[in-house]
Amino acid sequence: MGVTATTSWRPTDTDEVAAALADARAADQAVEIRGAGSVLDRLPGGDEPTITTRGLDGIVAHVPEDLIVTVRAGTLVRELAGELAAHGQECPIEPIGEDGATVGGRLATALAGPRQLGAGRVRDWVLRVRFVTGGGRAATAGGVTVKDVTGYDLCRLMTGSWGTLGIITEVTLKLRPVPRHPRWFATEAPDPQVFRRLYRPAAVVTTAARTHVLLEDHPDDTAAQAAAAGLAPAESPVLPATARAALDPAAVAGFLAEVGREEIGPDGTLEVASQDQLGLCHLDGTAGAIRTARAVAERHGGRLLVLDPALGVPAFGPGHGPGPLTRRVAAALDPDARLAPWRWER
Amino acid sequence: MLRRRQRAAGPSGAHAPRHGDVGEDRSLTPAETAVLERLRAVLDTTGLQAGLRTGHFGRATYRRDASFLNADPLAVALPQTIEQTAAVLRACREHGIPVTPRAAGTGLAGGATPTGEGGARPVVISVARMDRLRELDVANRRAWVEPGLVNARLGRAAAAHGLRFAPDPASQLAATLGGNVATNAGGIHVLTYGVMSQHVLAVELMDLEGEVHLLDGRAPEQGGLDLRGVSVGSEGTLGVVVGACLRLLPAPPAVGTLLAGFPSLEAAAATVAALVTSERLPDAIELMDARAIELVEGYAQAGYPQHAAAVLLIEYEGLPAGVTEGVATAARLAAEHGASEVIPAADAAQRARIWKGRKAVAGAIAKQAPDFYLQDVVVPRSRLGEMLDAVVAIGEREGLTILNVVHAGDGNLHPFVLFDRREPAMLERVFAAGHDIVATALRLDGTVTGEHGVGIEKRDFLGQVFDEDDLAVQKAVRDALEPTRLANPDKVLPTTVGCLEARMVPEGAWV
Repeated sequence: MGVTATTSWRPTDTDEVAAALADARAADQAVEIRGAGSVLDRLPGGDEPTITTRGLDGIVAHVPEDLIVTVRAGTLVRELAGELAAHGQECPIEPIGEDGATVGGRLATALAGPRQLGAGRVRDWVLRVRFVTGGGRAATAGGVTVKDVTGYDLCRLMTGSWGTLGIITEVTLKLRPVPRHPRWFATEAPDPQVFRRLYRPAAVVTTAARTHVLLEDHPDDTAAQAAAAGLAPAESPVLPATARAALDPAAVAGFLAEVGREEIGPDGTLEVASQDQLGLCHLDGTAGAIRTARAVAERHGGRLLVLDPALGVPAFGPGHGPGPLTRRVAAALDPDARLAPWRWER
Repeated sequence: MLRRRQRAAGPSGAHAPRHGDVGEDRSLTPAETAVLERLRAVLDTTGLQAGLRTGHFGRATYRRDASFLNADPLAVALPQTIEQTAAVLRACREHGIPVTPRAAGTGLAGGATPTGEGGARPVVISVARMDRLRELDVANRRAWVEPGLVNARLGRAAAAHGLRFAPDPASQLAATLGGNVATNAGGIHVLTYGVMSQHVLAVELMDLEGEVHLLDGRAPEQGGLDLRGVSVGSEGTLGVVVGACLRLLPAPPAVGTLLAGFPSLEAAAATVAALVTSERLPDAIELMDARAIELVEGYAQAGYPQHAAAVLLIEYEGLPAGVTEGVATAARLAAEHGASEVIPAADAAQRARIWKGRKAVAGAIAKQAPDFYLQDVVVPRSRLGEMLDAVVAIGEREGLTILNVVHAGDGNLHPFVLFDRREPAMLERVFAAGHDIVATALRLDGTVTGEHGVGIEKRDFLGQVFDEDDLAVQKAVRDALEPTRLANPDKVLPTTVGCLEARMVPEGAWV
C-alpha cells in the first residue's frame, strides 16, 4: 500500500487516529505511540511507524465549579497545570521526572508521581477516557460526574495500558483545590518510618542522606507536625530517573539492604531514593548495577523498569510479561496486535 | 441506620415472578439434576447451617437483594472455603448452569437477583460465610480480607490500631467488603477519599474454572493491565471475589461538623457549589430536603431546623487548624448564601446526633410509608440545583411524595419515592417517576448510577449513556475475562433478549 516502515501519523482528532490505524492495518503494520517523549519515546525502539498524539492538543472544557477538566491527550501536563492553577485548582498527576509529559502519556504509563502517597494513583483522577482501540473502534468509557459506576471501569483499564489496548485521544480529569501551603522538610538522617509520626503527609522520599517529607496542610498544622516529627525545612528531593523498582511495600527494606551491599552500592555506581509506603525505589546507576538491581527486585517479588534507553538495558524485565488474563484483554481490543506488540519485550 | 421491613404479602398478580413461585413444585433439567448432585457432594445439606439449600424456604431468602427485583434460584450454595467455592463454580461451569454471586444482599439494583439468560435458573453462591479478616497488616496499613467480612467489622478492627477503612456506605453494618468490591461502593466520605476502587490494592478473583487470579497488589505499577480496576464494580459478572487487599488510613486527629439550614433548595445548592470551589474541600457534604428533615426529626430528633427547606451536613477531617478553618469557611459561605441556621457540632455527642438524622432516613421512611423506591443518579455538581427542582416537579406531576437525600458534594442524588403499592396503578406511577428522574439526570450530563450499580435495574439505560461502540468495547472486555458467560448473566450490559419485567416484592432498603 505504499506505506513504508518510516511512516508516521500526526492525527488531530479521534477520527484521524482511527484513520491512521486503518492505514496501518491496510499495510499490515504495527505502530508505536508517541507523546512528548518523556517515557514511551525513551523506551528502546526500532524504526516502526509511529502515531504521535501531539496533534491532539488543547483543553476542551474546564468547568471549575464542577472540579473537572476535559483535555486532549497530546496536551502537555505543564500547560494543563497552568490553566488549572489560574483557577486555584490542580490535578495531581504531575510528570515523574522531565517536564515534557503529555496528559495521554501520563495516563498510558500511569507511573506514580512523588505525591501519589497523599493524592492517590493517576487512575484515581480519571473520570472519562475517549480512545481508539487497536481494532479501530472509537469508544468512550466513564462520564463527567465524579461518581459513576455505569458499566465496567475501563478508565482504570486504559490508564496504565502503555499504549497497548488503544490510543487515548481525550480525557476528563477530576480536580481539587491546589494546596496553598506546600512545604518540604527533611529529617537529619534517613528515617522512612517518620511517616508514622505524621498525619497523611503528601509525599515521603528517603535518600541516602535523609528522608524528605512534603506537608500541604494549614501552616499551623504543618508547623506542629514538623516540630513533633523533628523535621527541618528542606529543598524538594531530586529523584533518580534511570530506573524504578516497584515492590510490595513490605519488601522495600529487604531490597534496599541488598542493593546497598558492596558489590552494587559503595563505589558510587548506584543511587537510590525510595518511597517506602508506595513500594517504589528510584535508581540511577551503571548498566551493570541496574541489571543487578533488577535481579534483586525480582528476587523480592518486584519488578524494575528502565527509563533511560542510553543504558542499553531492556526497559521491561522478564517479570513484566503479561499474564493470561492480560493477553486475553489485549487480544479482545487489539486483535491484530497493531499497537506496540513489542512493548514488554524491549 | 439500617431497617428492614418484612412483609408476608406475596407479589401481586401483575408482577408475578417468571419462575416457579415459592411453594411450587419445579421440574429439573438433566443438567440441573446433575449439578445439584455435584453440589451435594461438596456442601453439607442438612441442619440450620446447611451449605446447600435446595428447598423452597432455603431458596426463598435468596430470591433478591435489597431491590424490588426477584427470581427463583436453582439452589443456594454457601461455601466456607475457597476450595468449596472452586468446586461449586467448576460444577456449574461443567453443566452450563449460571451462577449469581452475592453476600449480604444489601445491593439496590438487582445485581444479586438470580436471573439467567433465557430463563435459566442460576445457583446463588453466597460468600457470606467466608468472613475472616485474614491479616491486619498495621505496619503497611492494609488488610487482607475474605469477601464475606462486613465493612463495619473491618472498621472496628482497624480502629483498634488508630486506623480506618474509608469507604462508608450507609449499609456498612450489614454490607460485606466483597460486595463493596463488586459494586465499587461509595458512601458519605467519597468527596475527598474517593470510591471503593481507590482503597482496593488487590483483588483475588475466581473464574468459572475455579482458578484464582491475584489482580495487582504486589508491584503496584509498571506493566500489565489494571485488571484489579476492571474487577472492582464488575458486579459478579467476571467471577467471584474470594479475597481482597484493602488500604487503611490513619484515623483523623480532628473532625469538625456543621449543620446549616436553608430557606430554599436553591440556597443550599448554591452553598454546595461555593464549598466545592472553596480553598479546601470538605470531606463530606450531605443535603436533605424539607420532607426528609420533617420525617427524620419526628423519628430521630437530630435537632434539624423544622422550618428549613433544606439542610446541609458539612464535615471536615484532618489536623486541627485546618479543620477549624474549614468549619469557619463553611459557616461563612452558608451564611452568605442565606442560611437561616448554622450550627457547628460542639462535641462528639452533638456530631453523632447530627449524623443520626442522616442515617435514620431509611428507618424513618419505613414508619411513614408502606413502600419506598430508592433512586441513585449523579449530575455534575453545578447542575445540582436544577436536578433537585426537577425531582420536586416530577413528584408533583405524578402525585407522589419524593424526598431527597443527596451526597451533594458528589452531585449524587438519592430520591426516595414513598408509596403504598396497594393503591391502584401506583407502581406504574412510581416507575414512571423513577424513569423521569434518570432521564433528567442524563439530560443534565449526569449518569444513571453513582454507587448502587447497574444490576438489572439500570441495565437497559446503558444504551442511553453509551453508544454501540462503547458498549461493544465493554462487552469485549467482559467476554475476554469471563468467556463462559455464566457469571451473573443478564446483569450490567444490556442483552438482546429484552427487558425483564420489574417484579415487586416489598422489602426494606439501605441508602
